[in-house]
Amino acid sequence: MVLVPITYKGGVFKHDIIVDLIDDLGGYIVQKHMIAQEVILQSLVPKEDIDLIRKTGRPLGGEVIEAPLVGTEIAVVTPSLEIHHLPHTSCDAAEYLRRAGAKTNMIGLARGFGKRIANLNIEERDVINEHDCAVFLLGNFESCIRHKLPALRRGIKVPIILTGGPVTEDLKKLADPPVDGYVGGIGRIGHRMKKQEGEIEYLDKLVEEVSEVLDKKREEIAKDQLSISPARLMAVIDEELGISEISTHPTPITVQIAGLRVKIPYDEFAGMIKDIEIENDVKIGDIAELLPSRMRNYIWIRIKPFSETKIIV
Amino acid sequence: MALDYFEVECAEKKGGTTYLEIASDILKDLNLLSIISRLHIYIDPEFPLFLAAGMIRKMPGSVKAGDFTNIMEKEGRIVIDIGDEVHLSNLLSKLWDKYGRENVDQPDRFTITLDPEGKSIREIEEMIVLDQAENVYKDIIYALQWIAPEGFRIRKEGFEGPFFYYIASENTIPPELADELIHEKTRIMKEGR
Repeated sequence: MVLVPITYKGGVFKHDIIVDLIDDLGGYIVQKHMIAQEVILQSLVPKEDIDLIRKTGRPLGGEVIEAPLVGTEIAVVTPSLEIHHLPHTSCDAAEYLRRAGAKTNMIGLARGFGKRIANLNIEERDVINEHDCAVFLLGNFESCIRHKLPALRRGIKVPIILTGGPVTEDLKKLADPPVDGYVGGIGRIGHRMKKQEGEIEYLDKLVEEVSEVLDKKREEIAKDQLSISPARLMAVIDEELGISEISTHPTPITVQIAGLRVKIPYDEFAGMIKDIEIENDVKIGDIAELLPSRMRNYIWIRIKPFSETKIIV
Repeated sequence: MALDYFEVECAEKKGGTTYLEIASDILKDLNLLSIISRLHIYIDPEFPLFLAAGMIRKMPGSVKAGDFTNIMEKEGRIVIDIGDEVHLSNLLSKLWDKYGRENVDQPDRFTITLDPEGKSIREIEEMIVLDQAENVYKDIIYALQWIAPEGFRIRKEGFEGPFFYYIASENTIPPELADELIHEKTRIMKEGR
């Protein structure tokens, strides 16, 4: 069964029907948003059942949109959280990725600004490495990007998508060794991105580029299958601990391509999660590594591949 | 663009045009377009260095207490009737400084009363509550700090009559180089059309 990421948008009235339907079909709801009269479900559903969901949702005023980034967690890295870099480009880019279904975390570096003085500290490096990929939002000058990129990417193992003011072709020349994706035309600006031409079109390209990079990562993982799908593991943990009912986080359990971030304290709950039984005596501790996240005191779960565990559930 | 002259000089063409856009967005946000008349920005991404030289159209005058209040003598006390609350806190601090806090009463939001001994209404009316020139100077420096790339902590700024300059970098700028550049770019700004 191939699960594809979709976003369902519809009225609050009788939306339980859709929630139950997705559950019955064997799909997973990754994130549920209730905004006034509207409900937004970011979910992973079986490919052949999309039409059924669309048909069921139609009388309820619902629509189904393809959302390539559902089930991913992306780091949006900006040189600082000063007025120079926020809110315009950084928030626009982060929000646009979120619309495509991703969970974005904005990471403002402590000393990421400047040309010669830019650098990345160990905590920032570790936090970025806990994500599926990192989008670097740099500035408008070629010489500046060329000079500071090596310092900012030091030690980062996840795929990097580089954005900046210069056109995409020029950006490709600036990164040495090459990074995984490039989107030109998104540099520092002093206003919100409103125009389709020259502004929004580059954000569309960014979503395309990020999904391409992540598709490659998914293919890489598919060669040695994960012991459990992250979405299923999320459902198992949530059923056992009921985190989403009591937590105030927008995504109490964040789904990544090959793992999860569970937003509860590591010291108290890691042991409890390890002992949760998934099925037939297989425990979470057998198929996944539970690590303390560098982000607050959360738990970061890395799912082991089949070659390591010889188990698939 | 309401400026008479506005240029960004930069070796990298794409970067220069974006900075022209950033600068006009920020000046618009801070309502400085009607105050600044000429602005020349020079950016050297190699050094790296940011320099702005400009000229002010007209300096707004200062606000006196008489401009926004009605002052009269009533029942043996000087009564100040506030018309515009915007400058109230400034006026209060000036009065406190001059006459002492215990001698200034404020029975309600729009009234201040004083004991008339040793004071004249004229003297209070002429009191300068706010020097707008100082604010404009601060606003312009703030705008330039915002326009300049972040992290340029080594900087020098100045005002001479209607002319102002701002130079910043993350590397040490030799004083002779700074003076020479400021002089040259100010000349270009004055001559340019």
